[in-house]
Amino acid sequence: MPTLTYLEAIRQGIWEEMERDPTVFCIGEDIGIYGGAFKVTDGFIDRFGPERVIDTPIAESAIVGAAFGASLTGMRPVAEFQFMDFIGCAFNQITNMVAKAHYRWGAPAPLVIRGPSGGNVHGGPFHSQNPEMYFVHTPGLKVVCPATAYDAKGLIKASIRDNNPVIFFEHKYLYRRIKEDVPDDDYIVPLGKARVARSGRDLSIITYAAMVHVALEAAEMLSKEGIELEVVDLRTVSPLDREAIAETVRRTNKVIILHEHVRTGGIAGEISAIINEEAFDSLDGPIVRLTALDSPVPFSPPQEEFFLPKPNDVVREARKLAAY
Amino acid sequence: MPKKPKARSHSNHRASRASRPTTPASSSQRTYTILDYRLERPRIELRQVRDGDTVRYEVSGDLSAPVPPIRESKYLGKQQCIEIYRWMLLNRKMEAALENLYKQGKVVGGVYFGLGQEGCSCASAYALEPDEWLGPLIRNQGSLLVRGFSPRDIMMQYMARAGSPTKGRDASSHFGDIQKRNVVAPISTLGDLIPVLAGVALGARLQGKNIAVMTYIGDGGQSTGVTYEGLNFAAVQNLGLVLFVENNLWGYSTPADMQFLIEDLAERAIAYGIPGVIVDGTDPCQVYDAAHEACERARRGEGPTLIEAKMMRMKGHAIHDAAEYVPKPLFEYWKKRDPIARFENFLVNVKKWLTPAEHEKLLAGVDAQLEADREFAVASPMPTPESAAGGTYCEEGCHEVKPKYGVPTVKSRKAPATLRAESAVHLK
Ligand SMILES: Cc1ncc(C[n+]2csc(CCOP(=O)(O)OP(=O)(O)O)c2C)c(N)n1
Ligand SMILES: [Mg+2]
Repeated sequence: MPTLTYLEAIRQGIWEEMERDPTVFCIGEDIGIYGGAFKVTDGFIDRFGPERVIDTPIAESAIVGAAFGASLTGMRPVAEFQFMDFIGCAFNQITNMVAKAHYRWGAPAPLVIRGPSGGNVHGGPFHSQNPEMYFVHTPGLKVVCPATAYDAKGLIKASIRDNNPVIFFEHKYLYRRIKEDVPDDDYIVPLGKARVARSGRDLSIITYAAMVHVALEAAEMLSKEGIELEVVDLRTVSPLDREAIAETVRRTNKVIILHEHVRTGGIAGEISAIINEEAFDSLDGPIVRLTALDSPVPFSPPQEEFFLPKPNDVVREARKLAAY
Repeated sequence: MPKKPKARSHSNHRASRASRPTTPASSSQRTYTILDYRLERPRIELRQVRDGDTVRYEVSGDLSAPVPPIRESKYLGKQQCIEIYRWMLLNRKMEAALENLYKQGKVVGGVYFGLGQEGCSCASAYALEPDEWLGPLIRNQGSLLVRGFSPRDIMMQYMARAGSPTKGRDASSHFGDIQKRNVVAPISTLGDLIPVLAGVALGARLQGKNIAVMTYIGDGGQSTGVTYEGLNFAAVQNLGLVLFVENNLWGYSTPADMQFLIEDLAERAIAYGIPGVIVDGTDPCQVYDAAHEACERARRGEGPTLIEAKMMRMKGHAIHDAAEYVPKPLFEYWKKRDPIARFENFLVNVKKWLTPAEHEKLLAGVDAQLEADREFAVASPMPTPESAAGGTYCEEGCHEVKPKYGVPTVKSRKAPATLRAESAVHLK
């Protein structure tokens, strides 16, 4: 089994889908000869030609609008955003045109909007954001946020095959930092299914994307103290895997929710409500939120480090909760 | 000797800039061409003036100019003209029926009218082939009729009935059909249909077919950024978009000259590198000819066209709006240019393509159709409350997604052996 980075896994997933299905094509800024700002589509134009790897003007509403239009004719567009921070430029297309299409007039919109998100790379306020919650709040969209190379490949393939619009948030911190054995055959990871990234009996931590690795690092440290963390990787933030959330709470009775986006209106609030609805009686302690600060993402490394949740924060909160 | 790489133009590469300038050798002035089909060029001005304690609009110019004739079409024959005329009548009379339904309290929300614009809606949509696509705006109810929706569909939309195309979920012209009629449902937000229709043309081209796709934008809506994004994208990608800029002089209560400074919105085409055409939007023959030529260009794979249709919104923004801000003389000027009265005169008196008896019969047929549709729509049930739920997502088995024009042909090429430098990436 070849060892692939998270980025190579995404690349391979899209590549395989384009090989498999002639209706899949890529559209975005600088994705052709240049291969994309992060090189996810490197070499695609040579293999698939400029017809299927389309460089566009810097016009995010046009990219999403055109992808949607093409999907109405039965194509499966994969639209790259150079940075997910720019997704606001296409907000109306995504939330009003695309997301409501099936409900309003029965038009499936099998398109994928994908691109790099997330911080810890000192990208500053406009190259580090996690804007997924705007879209979690919009019925009709699916929101996918992989944490591992294996999942990244399986989830991008499932997203391309899905008949609904999927926003696929790649974490740019993970692009080249994580590697694992990834089968080079055709497999998918189904949307809407969480996974237990590490089993543990004492308390659960529910998270996704880059924060999965923060949680796993903390779990190693805590394990030495005899506290066993269960790490649940959501993989898909919309729709949420309600069952997996409830199950882990029933097993450990204590839960921390960890996310990289800002605190207010974050997914932790929604997950807390689900736990309240599904597993209230299983709780032996307060639900703890660990999140970024309620501020823009700061640029300078010490500031950004302060802004983001770190393994030590998890360790501190887990100790408190374990002792509760 | 190494072979010189062959320069190839790709299908998504711009063929040539359509609105090329001409620069006479003796001058540094460039000239561009805008095709203008109109038989009159009204010069009418609108100003904000203070009148005692209030500010109002005042109109000036040649308001007594004679009404121009209908311009003979280069393409339309007798039968086609009569068909278009019938669509226009159906459009107008359907809207009158909607107004009555509103007064009877049967309409949920407001009613939007295309009064004075029926020729533009109907003759433009008439230029499309059945397998081509249209994205209507709120006033293009006539375009929807031409695409094959019935008055009862539109009536049920306005009355929020279970049998409406959106099953009660959306109002007015906000519906579409990807199976048969190839209509993209508009959203309220203006301008967003433009890139979507461009994308439809892109999808078709990837499946091996250049099609014409048509949508509309108002003198007000064209101020949006997405209008620029969408049309520029279509231009650069050489997609067969036919964009009708319906300049009806008002965007809600704001006159067109507070939306843009140039004389004619068709001039915008120059800056996109595409052809720009001006038509009298109250003359269905001009509208059709321009639309037909733009569609043919689209089918040849030569890219988009911007057509500005000049006309007047003959009612308020919607039924609640009495349009008291519009100076009366402006209404009177355009009332004389009523598209239906003039087309009737053209067909009955000028061309004698319809005898008065045939004309009466045609009118009676339209009335009978509308009466039957009105009765059907009024008798149809409201949706159940529970039908609000479900259908937000396309679930397993609810739709099959397959290419509409044929499976794209894929060239087999070798994959590149190695990837380029992994080092020079934006942020690590
Ligand atoms: C982006 C956006 N802003 C505001 C509105 C509210 N609105 C609906 S129609 C309208 C006026 C549109 O004028 P115009 O484009 O000239 O079209 P017309 O009504 O004259 O046909 C406005 C302001 C909207 N629908 N979309
Ligand atoms: Mg207007």
